[in-house]
Amino acid sequence: MARPHIEPFVDRDVSFKKLNLPGFPKGMQYKMLSLDTDNGACSMTVLFEPGYKQPPGMSYTEYELFIMNGSITVGDKVYGPGSYFFVPAGVTIGALTSSRGATGLLFYNHGEPSFVESDSDHPRAERNRFSTVNAYDDLQWSSTNFFPATAPGCFVKILHFDPRTFGFTFMYCMTPNFWQDNISYHDCVEEAYHIWGTSWMMQFGDLPTGGYFYRPPYINHGAFGCKLGTLAIGRTDTQLYNHFHFNPWTNIEENRERAASRLLHRNPELYKWVNNHGHNHPVDFDFDHGHAHGDVAHHHGDGQVEHKHKKKPRRRR
Amino acid sequence: MKLIPHKRSREVEAWLRKEDAEQKKRYRKIVKEQDALEPKRNKWVADFLARIQTRGTHVHYDQMRKVSPEEIPTKPKRKFRVVF
Repeated sequence: MARPHIEPFVDRDVSFKKLNLPGFPKGMQYKMLSLDTDNGACSMTVLFEPGYKQPPGMSYTEYELFIMNGSITVGDKVYGPGSYFFVPAGVTIGALTSSRGATGLLFYNHGEPSFVESDSDHPRAERNRFSTVNAYDDLQWSSTNFFPATAPGCFVKILHFDPRTFGFTFMYCMTPNFWQDNISYHDCVEEAYHIWGTSWMMQFGDLPTGGYFYRPPYINHGAFGCKLGTLAIGRTDTQLYNHFHFNPWTNIEENRERAASRLLHRNPELYKWVNNHGHNHPVDFDFDHGHAHGDVAHHHGDGQVEHKHKKKPRRRR
Repeated sequence: MKLIPHKRSREVEAWLRKEDAEQKKRYRKIVKEQDALEPKRNKWVADFLARIQTRGTHVHYDQMRKVSPEEIPTKPKRKFRVVF
Protein backbone atom coordinates (compact mmCIF):
# COMPACT_ATOMS: atom_id res chain seq x y z
CA MET A 1 0.00 0.00 0.00
CA ALA A 2 1.29 3.42 -0.86
CA ARG A 3 -0.42 6.09 1.24
CA PRO A 4 -3.68 5.29 3.01
CA HIS A 5 -6.73 7.50 2.91
CA ILE A 6 -6.10 9.97 5.73
CA GLU A 7 -9.22 12.12 6.09
CA PRO A 8 -9.82 14.07 8.15
CA PHE A 9 -6.79 14.64 10.37
CA VAL A 10 -6.17 17.76 12.44
CA ASP A 11 -2.51 18.35 13.23
CA ARG A 12 -3.37 20.67 16.13
CA ASP A 13 -4.46 17.55 18.03
CA VAL A 14 -0.87 16.23 18.12
CA SER A 15 2.48 17.59 19.30
CA PHE A 16 5.61 18.32 17.30
CA LYS A 17 8.38 15.72 17.44
CA LYS A 18 12.08 16.30 16.96
CA LEU A 19 13.41 15.28 13.55
CA ASN A 20 16.51 13.23 14.27
CA LEU A 21 17.25 11.74 10.88
CA PRO A 22 20.86 11.41 9.70
CA GLY A 23 22.10 14.52 7.92
CA PHE A 24 19.52 16.93 9.31
CA PRO A 25 20.78 19.59 11.72
CA LYS A 26 19.20 19.81 15.17
CA GLY A 27 16.35 22.25 15.69
CA MET A 28 13.74 20.97 13.26
CA GLN A 29 10.48 19.45 14.50
CA TYR A 30 7.64 17.80 12.62
CA LYS A 31 4.13 16.39 12.68
CA MET A 32 3.57 13.58 10.20
CA LEU A 33 0.51 14.18 8.04
CA SER A 34 0.82 11.19 5.72
CA LEU A 35 3.50 8.73 4.69
CA ASP A 36 3.96 6.50 1.65
CA THR A 37 5.03 3.24 3.22
CA ASP A 38 6.53 1.97 -0.06
CA ASN A 39 8.99 4.74 -0.82
CA GLY A 40 9.03 6.95 2.30
CA ALA A 41 7.52 10.00 0.56
CA CYS A 42 5.66 12.07 3.11
CA SER A 43 3.88 15.31 3.98
CA MET A 44 4.69 17.03 7.26
CA THR A 45 3.99 20.17 9.21
CA VAL A 46 7.41 21.42 10.27
CA LEU A 47 8.74 23.80 12.88
CA PHE A 48 12.12 25.48 12.54
CA GLU A 49 13.14 26.38 16.08
CA PRO A 50 14.46 29.94 16.71
CA GLY A 51 18.15 29.93 15.83
CA TYR A 52 17.84 27.01 13.39
CA LYS A 53 20.85 26.71 11.08
CA GLN A 54 21.16 24.38 8.12
CA PRO A 55 24.21 24.43 5.85
CA PRO A 56 23.88 24.45 2.06
CA GLY A 57 22.64 21.08 0.86
CA MET A 58 20.33 18.91 -1.18
CA SER A 59 17.79 16.10 -0.90
CA TYR A 60 17.72 12.84 -2.88
CA THR A 61 14.04 13.44 -3.62
CA GLU A 62 12.27 16.49 -4.96
CA TYR A 63 10.49 18.41 -2.22
CA GLU A 64 8.21 21.39 -1.70
CA LEU A 65 8.27 23.82 1.22
CA PHE A 66 5.60 26.36 2.12
CA ILE A 67 6.13 28.85 4.96
CA MET A 68 3.02 29.50 7.06
CA ASN A 69 4.34 31.57 9.97
CA GLY A 70 7.60 33.29 10.86
CA SER A 71 10.42 33.47 8.35
CA ILE A 72 13.47 31.65 7.06
CA THR A 73 16.56 33.04 5.38
CA VAL A 74 18.03 31.18 2.42
CA GLY A 75 21.36 32.57 1.35
CA ASP A 76 20.90 36.28 2.03
CA LYS A 77 17.17 36.50 1.25
CA VAL A 78 14.39 36.43 3.84
CA TYR A 79 11.28 34.38 3.06
CA GLY A 80 8.16 35.07 5.10
CA PRO A 81 4.62 33.66 5.20
CA GLY A 82 3.38 32.52 1.79
CA SER A 83 6.84 31.65 0.48
CA TYR A 84 6.84 28.48 -1.58
CA PHE A 85 9.79 26.46 -2.91
CA PHE A 86 9.82 23.61 -5.41
CA VAL A 87 13.22 21.97 -5.15
CA PRO A 88 14.07 19.15 -7.60
CA ALA A 89 16.08 16.16 -6.41
CA GLY A 90 19.76 16.94 -6.05
CA VAL A 91 19.38 20.72 -6.33
CA THR A 92 21.35 22.48 -3.62
CA ILE A 93 19.84 25.42 -1.79
CA GLY A 94 21.93 27.90 0.17
CA ALA A 95 22.35 27.95 3.93
CA LEU A 96 18.91 28.03 5.59
CA THR A 97 18.49 29.80 8.89
CA SER A 98 15.59 30.98 11.00
CA SER A 99 16.54 33.46 13.69
CA ARG A 100 13.07 33.76 15.23
CA GLY A 101 11.59 30.45 14.10
CA ALA A 102 9.05 29.45 11.47
CA THR A 103 6.38 26.88 10.72
CA GLY A 104 5.62 25.43 7.33
CA LEU A 105 4.55 22.47 5.26
CA LEU A 106 7.18 20.15 3.81
CA PHE A 107 6.36 17.62 1.12
CA TYR A 108 8.93 14.96 0.13
CA ASN A 109 7.46 13.70 -3.12
CA HIS A 110 9.22 10.49 -4.13
CA GLY A 111 11.36 9.31 -1.25
CA GLU A 112 11.96 9.66 2.49
CA PRO A 113 13.25 12.97 3.93
CA SER A 114 16.96 13.35 3.28
CA PHE A 115 19.51 16.09 3.60
CA VAL A 116 23.06 15.97 2.30
CA GLU A 117 25.38 18.87 3.00
CA SER A 118 26.77 20.13 -0.29
CA ASP A 119 27.94 23.31 -1.99
CA SER A 120 27.03 22.13 -5.45
CA ASP A 121 24.19 20.34 -7.26
CA HIS A 122 24.19 16.57 -7.70
CA PRO A 123 25.26 15.63 -11.27
CA ARG A 124 21.71 14.41 -11.97
CA ALA A 125 19.97 17.48 -10.58
CA GLU A 126 17.58 19.39 -12.83
CA ARG A 127 18.29 22.93 -11.69
CA ASN A 128 16.01 24.39 -14.40
CA ARG A 129 12.96 22.95 -12.61
CA PHE A 130 13.64 24.83 -9.36
CA SER A 131 11.06 27.51 -8.61
CA THR A 132 10.07 29.81 -5.79
CA VAL A 133 7.20 32.25 -5.40
CA ASN A 134 5.39 34.11 -2.65
CA ALA A 135 1.81 32.90 -2.81
CA TYR A 136 0.47 35.91 -0.89
CA ASP A 137 2.38 38.74 -2.61
CA ASP A 138 3.25 37.51 -6.11
CA LEU A 139 0.05 35.84 -7.32
CA GLN A 140 -3.59 36.85 -7.67
CA TRP A 141 -6.68 34.75 -7.11
CA SER A 142 -8.36 33.29 -10.17
CA SER A 143 -11.35 31.07 -10.75
CA THR A 144 -10.63 27.37 -11.05
CA ASN A 145 -9.93 26.42 -14.64
CA PHE A 146 -11.13 22.86 -14.25
CA PHE A 147 -14.15 21.91 -16.34
CA PRO A 148 -16.69 21.19 -15.04
CA ALA A 149 -15.80 23.89 -12.54
CA THR A 150 -16.33 24.23 -8.83
CA ALA A 151 -19.14 26.55 -7.74
CA PRO A 152 -18.54 30.33 -7.61
CA GLY A 153 -16.62 31.38 -4.52
CA CYS A 154 -13.71 28.97 -4.76
CA PHE A 155 -10.50 30.60 -6.03
CA VAL A 156 -7.00 29.30 -6.69
CA LYS A 157 -3.39 30.39 -7.12
CA ILE A 158 -1.18 27.88 -8.93
CA LEU A 159 2.17 27.53 -7.17
CA HIS A 160 3.63 24.73 -9.27
CA PHE A 161 2.51 22.77 -12.32
CA ASP A 162 4.14 19.60 -13.66
CA PRO A 163 3.88 19.68 -17.47
CA ARG A 164 4.32 15.93 -17.71
CA THR A 165 1.74 14.67 -15.22
CA PHE A 166 -0.46 17.80 -15.01
CA GLY A 167 -0.19 17.41 -11.24
CA PHE A 168 -0.09 20.74 -9.47
CA THR A 169 0.29 22.48 -6.13
CA PHE A 170 -2.08 25.34 -5.43
CA MET A 171 -3.36 27.67 -2.80
CA TYR A 172 -7.13 27.84 -2.64
CA CYS A 173 -9.71 29.81 -0.77
CA MET A 174 -13.41 29.48 -0.20
CA THR A 175 -15.28 32.71 0.34
CA PRO A 176 -17.60 33.10 3.35
CA ASN A 177 -20.88 31.28 2.72
CA PHE A 178 -19.45 29.17 -0.09
CA TRP A 179 -21.56 26.14 -0.92
CA GLN A 180 -21.57 23.51 -3.63
CA ASP A 181 -24.35 20.97 -3.80
CA ASN A 182 -22.89 18.00 -5.61
CA ILE A 183 -20.55 15.10 -4.91
CA SER A 184 -17.15 15.00 -6.55
CA TYR A 185 -14.33 12.57 -7.11
CA HIS A 186 -11.15 12.69 -9.19
CA ASP A 187 -8.81 10.41 -11.14
CA CYS A 188 -5.92 11.85 -9.15
CA VAL A 189 -4.77 11.89 -5.57
CA GLU A 190 -5.85 15.05 -3.78
CA GLU A 191 -4.18 16.39 -0.67
CA ALA A 192 -4.90 19.57 1.28
CA TYR A 193 -4.06 21.44 4.47
CA HIS A 194 -6.13 24.22 6.02
CA ILE A 195 -3.94 27.20 6.83
CA TRP A 196 -6.94 29.00 8.24
CA GLY A 197 -10.66 28.41 8.42
CA THR A 198 -13.22 25.65 8.60
CA SER A 199 -14.99 23.98 5.71
CA TRP A 200 -17.53 21.20 5.72
CA MET A 201 -18.02 18.09 3.61
CA MET A 202 -21.05 15.84 3.76
CA GLN A 203 -18.95 12.68 4.30
CA PHE A 204 -16.43 13.92 6.83
CA GLY A 205 -17.99 16.88 8.66
CA ASP A 206 -15.95 19.98 9.58
CA LEU A 207 -12.28 20.41 8.66
CA PRO A 208 -10.87 23.23 10.82
CA THR A 209 -7.62 25.21 10.81
CA GLY A 210 -4.78 22.67 10.82
CA GLY A 211 -7.08 20.16 9.12
CA TYR A 212 -5.53 17.86 6.55
CA PHE A 213 -6.51 15.13 4.14
CA TYR A 214 -4.73 12.77 1.76
CA ARG A 215 -7.37 11.28 -0.49
CA PRO A 216 -6.59 8.56 -3.07
CA PRO A 217 -8.44 8.65 -6.43
CA TYR A 218 -12.17 7.95 -6.91
CA ILE A 219 -13.30 8.68 -3.34
CA ASN A 220 -16.52 10.66 -2.97
CA HIS A 221 -16.37 14.06 -1.27
CA GLY A 222 -19.00 16.78 -1.11
CA ALA A 223 -21.48 18.40 -0.86
CA PHE A 224 -19.40 21.32 0.38
CA GLY A 225 -19.94 24.32 2.61
CA CYS A 226 -17.93 27.06 4.31
CA LYS A 227 -19.42 29.66 6.66
CA LEU A 228 -16.56 32.07 7.36
CA GLY A 229 -14.03 31.39 4.61
CA THR A 230 -11.03 29.09 4.30
CA LEU A 231 -7.42 29.45 3.12
CA ALA A 232 -5.65 26.22 2.19
CA ILE A 233 -2.88 24.52 0.24
CA GLY A 234 -3.82 21.72 -2.14
CA ARG A 235 -1.88 19.25 -4.28
CA THR A 236 -2.63 16.65 -6.91
CA ASP A 237 -0.36 14.03 -8.49
CA THR A 238 -1.97 14.16 -11.96
CA GLN A 239 -4.65 16.14 -13.78
CA LEU A 240 -7.64 17.11 -11.67
CA TYR A 241 -10.97 16.45 -13.34
CA ASN A 242 -14.19 17.00 -11.42
CA HIS A 243 -16.41 13.95 -11.81
CA PHE A 244 -19.62 15.42 -10.38
CA HIS A 245 -22.70 13.40 -9.43
CA PHE A 246 -25.30 13.20 -6.68
CA ASN A 247 -25.27 9.58 -5.49
CA PRO A 248 -23.83 9.60 -1.93
CA TRP A 249 -23.37 5.84 -1.79
CA THR A 250 -21.18 4.95 -4.77
CA ASN A 251 -17.88 3.26 -3.98
CA ILE A 252 -14.39 3.48 -5.51
CA GLU A 253 -14.98 0.68 -8.04
CA GLU A 254 -18.21 2.22 -9.32
CA ASN A 255 -16.64 5.66 -9.55
CA ARG A 256 -13.63 4.29 -11.43
CA GLU A 257 -15.85 2.44 -13.91
CA ARG A 258 -17.81 5.60 -14.54
CA ALA A 259 -14.60 7.54 -15.11
CA ALA A 260 -13.38 4.88 -17.57
CA SER A 261 -16.72 5.01 -19.38
CA ARG A 262 -16.32 8.77 -19.69
CA LEU A 263 -12.86 8.26 -21.16
CA LEU A 264 -14.36 5.89 -23.72
CA HIS A 265 -16.91 8.49 -24.79
CA ARG A 266 -14.64 11.54 -24.72
CA ASN A 267 -11.43 9.99 -26.10
CA PRO A 268 -12.66 6.94 -28.05
CA GLU A 269 -9.58 6.63 -30.28
CA LEU A 270 -7.19 6.91 -27.38
CA TYR A 271 -9.24 4.45 -25.34
CA LYS A 272 -9.14 1.92 -28.22
CA TRP A 273 -5.41 2.35 -28.73
CA VAL A 274 -4.62 1.89 -25.04
CA ASN A 275 -6.62 -1.34 -25.04
CA ASN A 276 -4.95 -2.78 -28.15
CA HIS A 277 -2.99 -5.98 -27.73
CA GLY A 278 0.68 -6.00 -28.48
CA HIS A 279 3.66 -4.04 -27.36
CA ASN A 280 1.90 -0.78 -26.79
CA HIS A 281 3.75 1.40 -24.35
CA PRO A 282 3.04 5.10 -24.69
CA VAL A 283 5.95 7.30 -25.68
CA ASP A 284 5.85 11.04 -25.19
CA PHE A 285 8.18 12.81 -27.59
CA ASP A 286 8.55 15.59 -25.01
CA PHE A 287 9.95 13.32 -22.32
CA ASP A 288 12.07 10.22 -21.84
CA HIS A 289 9.95 7.12 -21.82
CA GLY A 290 10.00 4.13 -19.50
CA HIS A 291 12.25 1.90 -21.55
CA ALA A 292 15.01 4.46 -21.43
CA HIS A 293 15.35 4.51 -17.67
CA GLY A 294 12.95 1.86 -16.44
CA ASP A 295 11.19 4.37 -14.26
CA VAL A 296 7.76 4.83 -15.86
CA ALA A 297 4.91 2.39 -15.34
CA HIS A 298 3.27 1.30 -18.60
CA HIS A 299 1.63 -1.76 -20.12
CA HIS A 300 1.72 -4.00 -23.15
CA GLY A 301 -2.00 -4.18 -23.84
CA ASP A 302 -2.36 -6.99 -21.33
CA GLY A 303 -4.08 -4.98 -18.62
CA GLN A 304 -1.03 -5.01 -16.38
CA VAL A 305 -0.85 -1.27 -16.30
CA GLU A 306 1.53 -0.87 -13.42
CA HIS A 307 4.62 -2.79 -14.45
CA LYS A 308 8.06 -1.37 -14.96
CA HIS A 309 11.15 -2.65 -16.72
CA LYS A 310 14.22 -3.21 -14.65
CA LYS A 311 17.59 -2.45 -16.10
CA LYS A 312 19.16 -5.62 -17.39
CA PRO A 313 22.54 -6.22 -15.77
CA ARG A 314 25.39 -6.60 -18.25
CA ARG A 315 26.98 -10.03 -18.35
CA ARG A 316 30.60 -10.14 -17.38
CA ARG A 317 32.80 -12.31 -19.51
CA MET B 1 14.85 12.77 -12.13
CA LYS B 2 12.44 12.87 -9.21
CA LEU B 3 14.49 10.62 -6.97
CA ILE B 4 18.23 10.08 -7.00
CA PRO B 5 19.08 6.45 -6.18
CA HIS B 6 20.74 6.13 -2.79
CA LYS B 7 21.08 3.70 0.07
CA ARG B 8 18.90 4.11 3.13
CA SER B 9 20.56 3.98 6.52
CA ARG B 10 19.36 1.73 9.33
CA GLU B 11 18.21 4.79 11.28
CA VAL B 12 16.00 5.85 8.38
CA GLU B 13 14.54 2.35 8.00
CA ALA B 14 13.75 2.29 11.74
CA TRP B 15 12.17 5.76 11.54
CA LEU B 16 9.98 4.67 8.62
CA ARG B 17 8.81 1.58 10.50
CA LYS B 18 7.90 3.69 13.52
CA GLU B 19 6.05 6.27 11.43
CA ASP B 20 4.23 3.50 9.55
CA ALA B 21 3.01 2.03 12.85
CA GLU B 22 1.83 5.44 14.04
CA GLN B 23 0.06 6.06 10.75
CA LYS B 24 -1.80 2.74 11.02
CA LYS B 25 -2.94 3.79 14.49
CA ARG B 26 -3.99 7.21 13.15
CA TYR B 27 -5.93 5.56 10.32
CA ARG B 28 -7.83 3.29 12.73
CA LYS B 29 -8.74 6.30 14.88
CA ILE B 30 -10.07 8.16 11.83
CA VAL B 31 -12.19 5.17 10.77
CA LYS B 32 -13.61 4.89 14.30
CA GLU B 33 -14.43 8.61 14.45
CA GLN B 34 -16.02 8.55 11.01
CA ASP B 35 -18.13 5.51 11.90
CA ALA B 36 -19.37 7.40 14.95
CA LEU B 37 -20.39 10.28 12.68
CA GLU B 38 -22.83 8.11 10.73
CA PRO B 39 -26.11 9.30 12.33
CA LYS B 40 -25.21 12.93 11.58
CA ARG B 41 -24.04 11.98 8.10
CA ASN B 42 -27.32 10.24 7.35
CA LYS B 43 -29.15 13.46 8.24
CA TRP B 44 -26.77 15.51 6.03
CA VAL B 45 -27.38 13.09 3.14
CA ALA B 46 -31.16 13.31 3.57
CA ASP B 47 -30.95 17.13 3.59
CA PHE B 48 -28.73 17.05 0.47
CA LEU B 49 -31.11 14.78 -1.43
CA ALA B 50 -33.99 17.11 -0.54
CA ARG B 51 -32.08 20.25 -1.56
CA ILE B 52 -31.07 18.94 -4.99
CA GLN B 53 -34.76 18.39 -5.77
CA THR B 54 -35.75 21.91 -4.81
CA ARG B 55 -32.73 24.19 -5.31
CA GLY B 56 -30.82 21.87 -7.65
CA THR B 57 -27.40 20.25 -7.91
CA HIS B 58 -24.30 21.99 -9.28
CA VAL B 59 -23.43 20.76 -12.78
CA HIS B 60 -20.76 23.29 -13.73
CA TYR B 61 -19.79 26.50 -11.92
CA ASP B 62 -23.10 28.31 -11.29
CA GLN B 63 -25.15 26.02 -13.52
CA MET B 64 -27.57 23.94 -11.49
CA ARG B 65 -30.34 21.55 -12.35
CA LYS B 66 -33.21 20.22 -10.29
CA VAL B 67 -33.18 16.47 -9.82
CA SER B 68 -36.50 14.69 -10.25
CA PRO B 69 -37.71 12.28 -7.55
CA GLU B 70 -37.23 9.29 -9.93
CA GLU B 71 -33.53 10.10 -10.21
CA ILE B 72 -32.87 10.05 -6.48
CA PRO B 73 -30.67 7.03 -5.73
CA THR B 74 -31.65 4.49 -3.10
CA LYS B 75 -29.29 3.50 -0.33
CA PRO B 76 -27.64 0.13 -1.02
CA LYS B 77 -27.62 -2.56 1.66
CA ARG B 78 -23.82 -2.56 1.98
CA LYS B 79 -22.07 -0.55 4.68
CA PHE B 80 -21.79 3.17 3.89
CA ARG B 81 -18.01 3.67 3.83
CA VAL B 82 -16.44 7.10 3.53
CA VAL B 83 -12.85 6.19 4.48
CA PHE B 84 -11.16 3.66 2.19
